[in-house]
Amino acid sequence: MRILIAEDEPVLASQLMKTLMSEGLTVDVAVDGAEAQYLGETEPYDVIILDLGLPIRDGLTVLRNLRSGGSDTSILILTARNDWTDRVDGLDAGADDYLTKPFHMAELSARVRALIRRKAGKATPVFSKDDVTFDTRTNQVMVDGIPTNLTSQEIAVLSYLFHNSGRLVSRSELSDHIYQHDGDRDSNTIAVFVNRLRKKLGSNLIETVRGRGYVIKATA
Amino acid sequence: MTSLRARAVTGGILWAVAIIVLGLAGVSSYLTSQTQARFVEVLETRHSQAVVAVSNNSDSTSDLVRAIGDLVYQVPFSGQYWQVETDLGEVFASPSLEEGRLPQPFSFDDERVSRGFTGPNGEAVLGIGQWVPVNDGARWYVQVASSLRSFEEEQVVLRNTLLTAFAFVSFVGVLGALTQVAVVLQPLNKLRKDVSGRWELEDGLEVKSYPIEVAPLVNDINTLMERNRDIMRRSRRQAADLAHAIKTPSAIMRNELDNLMMDGVDVQEANDALDRLDAQLKRSFARMRADGTDATVGVATELDTALGRMKRAFEALARNEGKAFAATYDAGLRVRMDQSDFEEVMGNLLDNALKWAASEVRLEAGQTPDGQITITISDDGPGIPKEEIAKATQSGQRLDTSKPGTGLGLAIAHDLIHAYGGKILLSKDEELGGLAVHMRLPFASAKRAD
Repeated sequence: MRILIAEDEPVLASQLMKTLMSEGLTVDVAVDGAEAQYLGETEPYDVIILDLGLPIRDGLTVLRNLRSGGSDTSILILTARNDWTDRVDGLDAGADDYLTKPFHMAELSARVRALIRRKAGKATPVFSKDDVTFDTRTNQVMVDGIPTNLTSQEIAVLSYLFHNSGRLVSRSELSDHIYQHDGDRDSNTIAVFVNRLRKKLGSNLIETVRGRGYVIKATA
Repeated sequence: MTSLRARAVTGGILWAVAIIVLGLAGVSSYLTSQTQARFVEVLETRHSQAVVAVSNNSDSTSDLVRAIGDLVYQVPFSGQYWQVETDLGEVFASPSLEEGRLPQPFSFDDERVSRGFTGPNGEAVLGIGQWVPVNDGARWYVQVASSLRSFEEEQVVLRNTLLTAFAFVSFVGVLGALTQVAVVLQPLNKLRKDVSGRWELEDGLEVKSYPIEVAPLVNDINTLMERNRDIMRRSRRQAADLAHAIKTPSAIMRNELDNLMMDGVDVQEANDALDRLDAQLKRSFARMRADGTDATVGVATELDTALGRMKRAFEALARNEGKAFAATYDAGLRVRMDQSDFEEVMGNLLDNALKWAASEVRLEAGQTPDGQITITISDDGPGIPKEEIAKATQSGQRLDTSKPGTGLGLAIAHDLIHAYGGKILLSKDEELGGLAVHMRLPFASAKRAD
């Protein structure tokens, strides 16, 4: 799952980035409105966290431009202003949720997870398929009730496939959603991650459609 | 300071009195002198007639009475008299004198001399006397006299007529002055009414509807009202900027504390302090906002726009939480509130309702027959116990107590609504079972067509 953080305050941006990456999410950071809009228009993010008080181009304009450009990415706005008018402006312009500063990181990641889940049309935070369960709140994966250790990349791949279960996901789509904007992408490594997941979680969970991609079939 | 009306009326009356007094004195003095001149002229004519009669009849003095034969000289004490005194001391007089006589000659010159004296029956008379040469070279003294009674009566009639006329003129003048003052002051009265009804005037006062003398003042008032709004906007923006400047560092600190807590460090007190700081900031900004609204003039919010925005925003938020939000309101409603203040109230109340609702939040807005705007927000949450409701609606107290369900949002909404002269009431919603927040807000009349 790939997240764009558009926040000009470097310390807060790095805190956000650290928190979200620790939860197995792939994070890009934009430090001004122009960069945020550019990345939002060109990269397939699952969620954009957009501060309204950005330099160069304010967050509200970025939001309106993204929506008028046809983007349907989930957008969570951050505002430091007290006024409801700001929040209503944002929501009215097409934001999916808001958080006012200061906020707890736990609250932010819960909102981000909820947005990702809702976009995927999943009602519960825990996915399960056969004997494998994946808790999106903790990134805990269990096989037959026994916790399994996964690397952050393995979690990223598993999480994306679970969120899009029932749908064929190509290797390039997977790599788009688990690598950073300026990260080193190699679609072969995707195959490596999938193989490792199969070893740890059983070979039936992720099916390969030769030459096209991977799919986790209907989950509970 | 004396009112303009009093000044204009007093000034007008004083001016009118001065004109009337001077006019009365002038006219009356002119007419008196005219009457006097006519009186003297008549008397001189009578004297001339007497002189002619004496000249013609100096040989037969017994004919004098017949010769100066005007009837008024025949009636006793008629007020018209004549008297001829010969050089030998014989005196002939008009029958009107009866036994009485006119005074001795006033002088011995040949000139005609006039003087006033007391007549035969005690009234004031004016007499003319002259030594007139007769046939034998002698000089007889010929006098005529006329009672001043008729002159005085004429004077009285004249004075009364003048006074009546001037009284009428004064009355009409004062009425005119009052009417004029009313007409002249009418734009000022309108201005006073317009200014006291300034809450309604979103576009300021209409300069064109005032006379050019008042227009600069109206312009100044408009400028002042606009400046007032500017100051309000600016101070709000500054407050918002300040909040913005403080909150991001606060967010950073909070995250660092969270991290330390994860590492097992006890940061409870630091976290509490940060919570207090944030709550205090929020309260202070809310207070600044509510205080500022007292001076706000000429604001109105179209509910079609504002509630439309709130509806779209809260539908999105309700969807996030898997709850339902429905808003129903009549078209064309307007409240006399600044839009951002109105949205602040609605945002806080709807946010509360959504937070506590089990599955549903409703908003309904309409207008009472007397024009007030009523808005009700209800939810199916746990509501507020009756005893807490009483406390929650007491102004000023709740800002310092942040209980679940009656948090700061309600206090902010309460203060803002009161600042605009509205009312807010909490109750249990009969249908949904949770909290119902009823509001009555001042309405704004329709925007002027221009």
